[in-house]
Amino acid sequence: VARALWSGSLSFGLVNVPVQLVSASRDLDYHFHQLHEKDKVPIEQRRVCSKENEEVAWEEVAHSHELDGKQVVVTDEELASVQPRKTRTIDVEAFVDLDEVDPIYFDHPYFLIPAGDSEGTLGAYRLLVETMADQGRVALGRFVLRTKESLVAVRSREGALALTTMLFHDEVRPTNDIEGGGKKPSKKQIDTAVAIIEGLSTGWDPGRYQDCYRERLKRVIDAKSKRKTIEVPKPEKEPKPVPDLMDALERTLEQLRDGGESDAEGRETNSGRRGSRSGGASRSGGKTKSRS
Amino acid sequence: MPKSIWNGTVTFGMVNVPIKLYSATESKTVQFHEVHAKDGAKIEHKRICPKEDREVPYKEIVKGYETSQGRYVVLDKDEIKAAAGDRGKVINLSDFVDAAEIDPVFYEKTYYAGSRGDKDVFELLYQALRKTRRAGIGRFSFHDREYLVVLRAGDEVLVLHTLRFHDEVVSGEDLEIKRARKPSEKEIDMAGRLVDSLAEKFDPQAYEDTYRDAVLDLIERKAKGEEIDLAAEEEPAHGDDLAAALEASLSGSRS
Repeated sequence: VARALWSGSLSFGLVNVPVQLVSASRDLDYHFHQLHEKDKVPIEQRRVCSKENEEVAWEEVAHSHELDGKQVVVTDEELASVQPRKTRTIDVEAFVDLDEVDPIYFDHPYFLIPAGDSEGTLGAYRLLVETMADQGRVALGRFVLRTKESLVAVRSREGALALTTMLFHDEVRPTNDIEGGGKKPSKKQIDTAVAIIEGLSTGWDPGRYQDCYRERLKRVIDAKSKRKTIEVPKPEKEPKPVPDLMDALERTLEQLRDGGESDAEGRETNSGRRGSRSGGASRSGGKTKSRS
Repeated sequence: MPKSIWNGTVTFGMVNVPIKLYSATESKTVQFHEVHAKDGAKIEHKRICPKEDREVPYKEIVKGYETSQGRYVVLDKDEIKAAAGDRGKVINLSDFVDAAEIDPVFYEKTYYAGSRGDKDVFELLYQALRKTRRAGIGRFSFHDREYLVVLRAGDEVLVLHTLRFHDEVVSGEDLEIKRARKPSEKEIDMAGRLVDSLAEKFDPQAYEDTYRDAVLDLIERKAKGEEIDLAAEEEPAHGDDLAAALEASLSGSRS
C-alpha cells in the first residue's frame, strides 16, 4: 500500500469521511548518485551551520523567512495553527463540470483512500465515488499540505476518489506579452491544415506512448556497464521555415492520402519509436487508428 | 517581455512553425529556508566524501547509476545527453487527439508557446487547432530529457503541457480499497441533490489562497515578538449514520 502523505477528513455538507492522501504518480526514472570521481564513493549531503561550521541534526533545523532583512523563525506548529481546519479538512465548496477546468490549473495527481475500515467511513466513501461518477462533476475545495495551500479537485476515478492539486488563479501567468500569430490564413490554407489534422487524428490512448528517454538511458547504462563506447547522436538541425506554405500543406495532405495513415511522417507507433524523417513509413506495430 | 525558456520548431507534416516557449505558471507559496534553531544561522548543504571526510568541490563529482548494492556505473555528461536523443530543437506533432479525452492525471507542467519570426504559419496552426478542437501530441527535449507533450490552442496563445507516461500513473484498482455495502436509493438521491445544490460554473477567481496571506501575517506578528496562540481545531465528528448526515446537510443548504 502506498505511503500516506496526509491524513484528515473530506467534508461534504455534514458528512465527514476520514481519508488518507497517496500519490497517483510513480517515479520510474533512473536516478543517479553523486560520486566522488577519485574514489567512486557516494557523496553525502550534510547540513552544516554556517556560523559554527558543525554538522546540524535534523531536529535542530528550524524554518525561517526573511522579512525586511531580518530572519523570522516559524515552527511547524505555528504554521499549522494559522488555519487549523484547512490543515486537517478538505471542505467541499462547490461542484463544477470537469470540462470547464482548464488543464493549466492541474498540478499533482493523488488519490484519497478511506482511513480505517469502519462501515460508516467505507459507506460514505463509496457513496461519494458513485455520486460523482454518475454526474461527471468534480468537487472543489482547499486544503493545506505541508506549508502550502492548494485548490483541489476531487472526483471519481476507477472506483476511488482522485484528488488533483490545482494552482490558484494568480499562479497562472498572463499571456498578453507573448508574441501571437499574424494575419488571418486564407480559407484554402485553413481547410488543408484542418484536413491534415483530421487525417492524423486518433483516440487518446496513453499506452501508445512509451518513455523513449527512459529506454535509451537504460541502454546507455547497460552499454557502459559492459564498457562499450556510447555514441552521442549529433543534434538534428532545426528545420527551416518553408518557402511556400500552401505547397507544404498540399504535399503533406497528398502524402497522407497516398500513403495511408501509417505512412504519415513521423507518426508514433506501438514500439514508441518515431518513423524515419524522410517521409518513410514505420509500419511495424502500427495500430489501427480510429478516424473521427 | 517575459523571458523565453526554449526556442525551436513545431512540425506537422511538412509544415514548420518556429516557436518560443515561456513558463505559464509560477508558485506563490511563501518560501522558507533552513536555519540552525539555536543561533538562527543559515544551514549550508555540503557535499562530503565520507571516505576522506572532507568537502568535495562540484567539479570532482560524477554521476553514477547503482547497478547492484555498492556498485556504480559512471556516466559522463555526454553519455547522459545521448539518451536525450537528437531532437533538441523539434517538436513533431505525430497524432492529434480530443484534449477532453486526456485524464487530468496525465498533465504535468504547462508552458505557453508564442510565435518566433514567421507569424502567419503560427496563426495557421493556431486557427486549425481551434477549429478542429484537437490537440497535437509530440515529444519535446528540454535540459537533456525528453518529454511527451500535447499542444493545444488556448485563449490567445498555444499552450504546451508535458504529460506523464501511462506507466507513471497509478490506477484506482492498484489501491485495493475495501468495498462497503451498496448505498441505498435514498442515500444516492440525497447525495445527488446535495451535489446539485452546490453546482456552479468554474470560476478560478472565486478561490483565493488565504493561507498564503495568513502565513505572511504570522511572520509579521512573530517579527514583532508577538506570542502565537496554538489553539487547535476540534476534530470533525465521523458519525455512522450517513442518511441522517445527508438529510441534515440538505436542510442546511436549502435555508
